[in-house]
Amino acid sequence: MGITLLLGLLALILLFYVLFRIARTSELASILRGDIHNYQYASKVNGVLMMAFLIIGLIMIVYSSMIYIPKMLPEAASVHGAKTDRLFNITLFFIGVVFVLTQIVLFYFSWKYREKEGRKAFFYSHNNMLEVVWTLIPAVVMTVLVVMGLQTWFSIFPSHDEMPEDRLEIEVTAKQFNWIVRYAGMDGEFGPRMIDTNYISQTNELGIMWENKASQDDIMPKEIHLIKDKPTLVRLGALDVLHSFYLPHFRVKMDCVPGLPTSFYFIPTKSTEDMKEILSTQKEWQKINEETGEEEWKSFKYELACTELCGKSHYAMQMDVIVHENEQKFMEWAEAQTPYYESIKATLDQASIEEVEVEENTIAEKSN
Amino acid sequence: MADIATDVHAHVDHHHDDHHDHHHKETFLTKYIFSQDHKMISKQFLITGMFWAVIGALLSVIFRMQLGWPEETFPILETFLGKWAEGGRLSNDFYYALVTMHGTILVFFVLTAGLSGTFANLLIPLQVGARDMASPFMNLLSYWFFFAASLVMFASLFIQTGPASGGWTAYPPLNGIRDLAINNGSGLGLDLWIGSMALFIVSTLLGGLNYVATIINMRTKGMTMWKLPLTIWALLFTAVLGILSFPALLAAVSMMEFDRLLGSSFFLSEIIINGQLLDHKGGSPILFQHLFWFLGHPEVYIIILPAFGIVSEVLSVHSRKPIFGYRAMVLSIMAIVVISFLVWAHHMFVTGMNPLVGSIFVLFTLIIAVPSAIKVFNWISTLWRGNLRLNPPMLFAIGFVSMFISGGLTGIFLGNSAIDIQLHDTYFVVAHFHIVMGVAAFFGMFAGIYHWFPKMYGRLMNNTLGYIHFFVTLIGSYMIFFPMHFMTGLPRRYYTHSNFTTFDNFGGLNEFISIMAMVVFLAQLIFIFNFLYSIFNGYKLKKGEENPWGATTLEWTTPVERLHGNWPGDIPAVHRWPYDYEVNGEPFIMQTTPLKEGEVEH
Repeated sequence: MGITLLLGLLALILLFYVLFRIARTSELASILRGDIHNYQYASKVNGVLMMAFLIIGLIMIVYSSMIYIPKMLPEAASVHGAKTDRLFNITLFFIGVVFVLTQIVLFYFSWKYREKEGRKAFFYSHNNMLEVVWTLIPAVVMTVLVVMGLQTWFSIFPSHDEMPEDRLEIEVTAKQFNWIVRYAGMDGEFGPRMIDTNYISQTNELGIMWENKASQDDIMPKEIHLIKDKPTLVRLGALDVLHSFYLPHFRVKMDCVPGLPTSFYFIPTKSTEDMKEILSTQKEWQKINEETGEEEWKSFKYELACTELCGKSHYAMQMDVIVHENEQKFMEWAEAQTPYYESIKATLDQASIEEVEVEENTIAEKSN
Repeated sequence: MADIATDVHAHVDHHHDDHHDHHHKETFLTKYIFSQDHKMISKQFLITGMFWAVIGALLSVIFRMQLGWPEETFPILETFLGKWAEGGRLSNDFYYALVTMHGTILVFFVLTAGLSGTFANLLIPLQVGARDMASPFMNLLSYWFFFAASLVMFASLFIQTGPASGGWTAYPPLNGIRDLAINNGSGLGLDLWIGSMALFIVSTLLGGLNYVATIINMRTKGMTMWKLPLTIWALLFTAVLGILSFPALLAAVSMMEFDRLLGSSFFLSEIIINGQLLDHKGGSPILFQHLFWFLGHPEVYIIILPAFGIVSEVLSVHSRKPIFGYRAMVLSIMAIVVISFLVWAHHMFVTGMNPLVGSIFVLFTLIIAVPSAIKVFNWISTLWRGNLRLNPPMLFAIGFVSMFISGGLTGIFLGNSAIDIQLHDTYFVVAHFHIVMGVAAFFGMFAGIYHWFPKMYGRLMNNTLGYIHFFVTLIGSYMIFFPMHFMTGLPRRYYTHSNFTTFDNFGGLNEFISIMAMVVFLAQLIFIFNFLYSIFNGYKLKKGEENPWGATTLEWTTPVERLHGNWPGDIPAVHRWPYDYEVNGEPFIMQTTPLKEGEVEH
């Protein structure tokens, strides 16, 4: 390793030196010729290079798109995601046209009007008509994009009255470096939480009031479970620092802020099985996964990620997301879960007894 | 810094005002270190900026090694970084420190101080026709505050707990709580970061006030505002933006330091760490983001406006044509400056902000595309039927326009809040801002350095090295950042993407990007070598060659030798606009040339 590094470094220095000698020689030659201020030859070479860059660049864009677009995220798996993807594509169309045209004109002009013997620049300082035209065209295009964008934007954030009553609600609380997911359980009611030192402890970071009946059947699974075509409201929060709740396949993203509740409302449209079926027809997903020995599409899963820098393990806040085919399948899963309260009851009693003891001691100390 | 060696050839001409000069003999200290000459201060800014650029770019090469080969080990990293790269693999907290410092250094120290510090200082007095800045002493202070800020920031790289690592945006609570359990970089590292930023802001304000005062008050006879070159217009608005927006950042970081050290709760509320509820109550982390981006968005224009100005000037001079639509160019800068104060919350569409508020920011953000488009069309029209001298400054100016188009257009996706939900904090954003304000601003800076090097040092830079530098940088930068648009769904600021099956399919592309990043980094060393070598060995301009490009502006009427006071005799008066090329049968007419009889003023 040391040797290769040293050799690499030497080769690099040599390369720099050779470049430098060439550069110096060509410079000296032009001084000797007396045309240090003459750029005709350089303009000819550079003009051709600029044109070559344009052509090869455009080809590379097409070529790389063919390779990498199939690797991008699959089609949106939510109602609003389909809309934002459509908006993306419309914008891409406008922008693609502008991009290609302006780059072509820019590099073509660079080559076409390169300095040449006998060429004289054309004194042309302004044209108000042109300015008006190329102010109005972008203004009109932007207006179209703003109107379409805002229509979509407002449709994504309905008020609570506009959301259907029978929605699925999930509470997700982010912390370094984990997600705490809570479902209301069979009673359909979340156990209340209290931001208070009497409730918050290492075993109860959320400050859930366990003595409340509504708390006792809440489910806190290690994955997020959704139902296909079921309106879903995710209530978001964070304990320590900022996090961001990101479901890439559903085009869902919302920050989790300590002390400030946020939420995101969406409707998943493709179950996990649906998405596998879609991907099973795509070439990119036919590759054999080394770990499972099966085609990639068979091990497809939806995932939750964090997209707001939250500390050194920010990149590891992964959680699986499962979209059930229908409500019934979801209920089957939910019924099989043990409410979180049941699983911690034993330790909880122990802890609360200790806490009470500590409290009594302090009270005793104070009264003394 | 390396200024010690600059201008060794320059023997100051004393023949004007002889008796006066003998009383003020320049010593080494007053000439090179605590100089009050705007030209020397500009070199100080430039060389300090170049130093920071190398450091900032080197940091990116190191973290690109991690991104390109997340499973590999590089023993050399352990040799240099020690405990931050045990076993040759970069540790995750140092990865975040590198990313944070890369952003801070490039945005503030290189592209703010290095770019506008250099060219505002060099060009404002020379192009408006003044002997120096309104307050040369304040100008000196501006540099030395920047130098102090640099020292503090540089020191923070070497402390035991590592430099700040909570992102260059320093969002609380990650950065708002002084607790190593939350983040290693949020200890002393962030204290130094905040201290350094405070010094930096003082420097920016001192500089900015001076620039505005000089441009408004010290223009030479005949130099009306409409006769100013576009560089000066751009630098004027850059300074105004800085004066109005940097105080918001100073307020934000000061309040954050109060939270951290004194237990106040400006940005903190209901924070629970390991089951412990902290005492902070009632603050809002989102408030910090509002304050930060109130600076942060104008900041990107602080970075790009000087490049606008430089590119407009360079395109015109080397096309041998007037800049197309001079007044439209000025008005579009004005429009951008005004609107840039009304778009900041487009960085915050998914913070839980009321969607109605978001919609207003969508509107203004997309409106700003209009003046930007006007500028691009005018630059392209300037090339039309020109006689383009494709030398290094011109190539970089054309490259700038190309980059500005590519990066600017992707902003139209991001500014539309509905699309931004998916794109926010992904590689699409990384691609967008690196192209539009990173690479483009650098191209503007290179265009400026190659163009005004003869003015700064009285010598020419080596062109062949310049061409190599240009083409490697142009191709390489596109190869780094263009493919990132395909990584649209991939979260940025990830140490590795291998924890997710969803994001794990771009390994090969990341490797390619990392290799290109190294190539581009090496190409910049060619530039630095060329710069330093040419200071001493470049082709030396002779008497009569003080205007090597055949430009019309005032800076080219000063003698080749550096002279405190700029003009040996009286300051020349100005009679015409700065863009008279190939007119009246002349290849160019200096601004100092009186109008011919019957000639109409522009």
